[in-house]
Amino acid sequence: MKHIIVRWQRGVPVYAVPKITPFFVFLCAMGALSIVLSAYREWAGLGPTTGMNDIYAWGIWKTFNTMVLTGLGSGGFSVGIAAWIFYRRDLHSVMRTAVLTSFVAYFSGLVALGVDVGRPWNFYQVLMPWTWNAHSPLLEVAVCMPLYACVPLFLENTPPLIERWYYTWPWFRPFIMKHLVPAIRSTYPYVIALAYALPMMHQSSLGALMLLGGSRVHVLWQSPFLPLLYVWAAGFLGYACVIGVLMVACLSWKRPMDMRILGVLARIMSWLILTWNVFRFVDILARGQIGAAFAFDRFSLLFWIETLLLVCPSVFMLWGGNRRIPSRLFQADLLIAVGGMLYRYDPTSFAFTARPGAVYFPSAIEALIAAGYVCLAIAAFVLAAKYLPILPAPVSAWHGMEHYARVVHPDWKLETHDFSHQNRPHFAN
Amino acid sequence: MELTRREALRSVVSKCVPVATAALCLPATEAAEAPSQPKAPVGMLYDTTLCIGCKACVVACAEANELPRDVSLDGLHQAPEDLNAFTKNIIKLYKPHEQSPDSFVKQQCMHCIDPACVAACPFKALWKDDGNGIVAWEPSRCIGCRYCEIACAYHVPKFEWDMINPKIVKCEFCEPRLNKGYQPACTSVCPTHAVIFGPRQDLLSQAKERIEQAPDKYFENRVYGEHEAGGTQVLYLSHVPFEDIGLPDVGPAPIPAALKWQKRIYKFLALPLLMYAMLASIMKKNWIDHRREMREEEERTGLRPQL
Repeated sequence: MKHIIVRWQRGVPVYAVPKITPFFVFLCAMGALSIVLSAYREWAGLGPTTGMNDIYAWGIWKTFNTMVLTGLGSGGFSVGIAAWIFYRRDLHSVMRTAVLTSFVAYFSGLVALGVDVGRPWNFYQVLMPWTWNAHSPLLEVAVCMPLYACVPLFLENTPPLIERWYYTWPWFRPFIMKHLVPAIRSTYPYVIALAYALPMMHQSSLGALMLLGGSRVHVLWQSPFLPLLYVWAAGFLGYACVIGVLMVACLSWKRPMDMRILGVLARIMSWLILTWNVFRFVDILARGQIGAAFAFDRFSLLFWIETLLLVCPSVFMLWGGNRRIPSRLFQADLLIAVGGMLYRYDPTSFAFTARPGAVYFPSAIEALIAAGYVCLAIAAFVLAAKYLPILPAPVSAWHGMEHYARVVHPDWKLETHDFSHQNRPHFAN
Repeated sequence: MELTRREALRSVVSKCVPVATAALCLPATEAAEAPSQPKAPVGMLYDTTLCIGCKACVVACAEANELPRDVSLDGLHQAPEDLNAFTKNIIKLYKPHEQSPDSFVKQQCMHCIDPACVAACPFKALWKDDGNGIVAWEPSRCIGCRYCEIACAYHVPKFEWDMINPKIVKCEFCEPRLNKGYQPACTSVCPTHAVIFGPRQDLLSQAKERIEQAPDKYFENRVYGEHEAGGTQVLYLSHVPFEDIGLPDVGPAPIPAALKWQKRIYKFLALPLLMYAMLASIMKKNWIDHRREMREEEERTGLRPQL
């Protein structure tokens, strides 16, 4: 079979597919259910609706939806640092996907956090710095995470939106060219820098939360370097998420896959994971707790599951041949995502012994609300991918869409292969 | 000559890293970071050898704090199983093993000198009084995040799980009674003086006196709470191991000391701002390159470049 080499060059909306599919309806139904159940939770209180109790005061809304899924949604931060700070130019093509996964993951996590807090009406204090306990890691998260999601992450996601307006609202073009484009041009470096400084702060503070858990967090996880390990884990989880989302999107919408770019992402991820694991082992050795890893209790089992889920696929992907085969790359990526999520989940849950014998298991309502907000995030991503030029594709896909739009949306003014006006203003110059 | 990107990156990093290291290591001394001690800490001293388990203090506490009676056990007796949203103070009987001697134990907030809950609370809803050292809860500031419950090594703060307007419930040392010149409810009703009230310093010396008078009567001949987690204002004397009566081995360091490096990193927001400045200066250079490359790409493909 002849291999066709695909190069992702620009974002192209997913076109010529139905916008409303059974899967999309299912996602929306789950989301609607979670909104109804959240209203019930606000009315009935946390006790009757969740499995949380005074011993395990934090449930999956905080420990999974916020602490794990925002780690998974750190692609905009971690891929972005490689693309912009270390200037991996080839990674720019996947940045729109990365920042969109971050956007939906952060908003779904923040909504879950809003449902979780017992007295949300007092949250207005987040705008009043004199009420802050500046040394609380949770304050850092509460200030920094909404700030990141609402300012730099939101601004990073505006170019695809503006691009759509540019083509579909001709009357809006003068405003875009006169005001929006110069504004983006002059502020973008500062916005981007903020988009990397803030996640470094709150993703590490999520780890710092459990420092106060002291010895109740098992010694294999409790470490003074927990904040660093957490933000590092967010780094490789972001890559795992971007690779997984790109591959699933390409498979389900039959778009060509650029195995070279995916391979670059996978290689960076592998090295992040391997160095992370070395650091983690050095930390455990330095604290003299390596014996706990060979205690063969449930904690050491959990530790080795995490380690193997992360290390084996990473080593496997060091060989370029494995990275180039989609099925191998996808399976390895899936294992890494599970392993990384497990690591982020354990210090708050499986490796957190609040009191011997006490248990926490999420209630059905709690789990449905948690799942519902994840479904809403996926639904938002799917919808955005169909309306906006998010997913990367070869230029040929853009021309395909051009032909399609000429029939379906004759009013749209898409770019054509017209070299006659070279000097027109555009986003960049 | 135009700098290459690698050179620019190196120059920025080489300027920022020494500054960051200096900011982290130079100004912080352990003494300056130690928490301020309350001026006149009040305290309680509980002695397991004197307690007869009558639970008069449990009832008195509920009455003084206007807590509903917790009759969840059998619908008849006020016999809560643990500290909970209706119970700020409890007497438990501990008999962990068949052979071990049994002991009653009173549980309520320890009013730590450097409390983990206060360090955890994002909006100072839990706060420690500078004078008497009481750790109290302020409803108008609490967002109900329950981080205090995660942070407290003694499992003291409790949450009203069944309420639409939930509160954090914990012993606040009967502060309204203290202000009127009374003792806390629990110490005022104790028939055997198993739990007594007074300034922490006086109680500590009294406890040491009891140990001196009866050597080997008390476990390890020491007072629990003198040094535990930086010291607590509630002190315990026990004839059984402290672990057995539910007093955890928390070590001498205050629990918030675990946040030492966090505090240094976020001091005056200096290091985050430095990090931001570093990223922005790298980005400014890369942005110019990126715009040039986008222009070149447009000339090549004839398509509007995407950001």
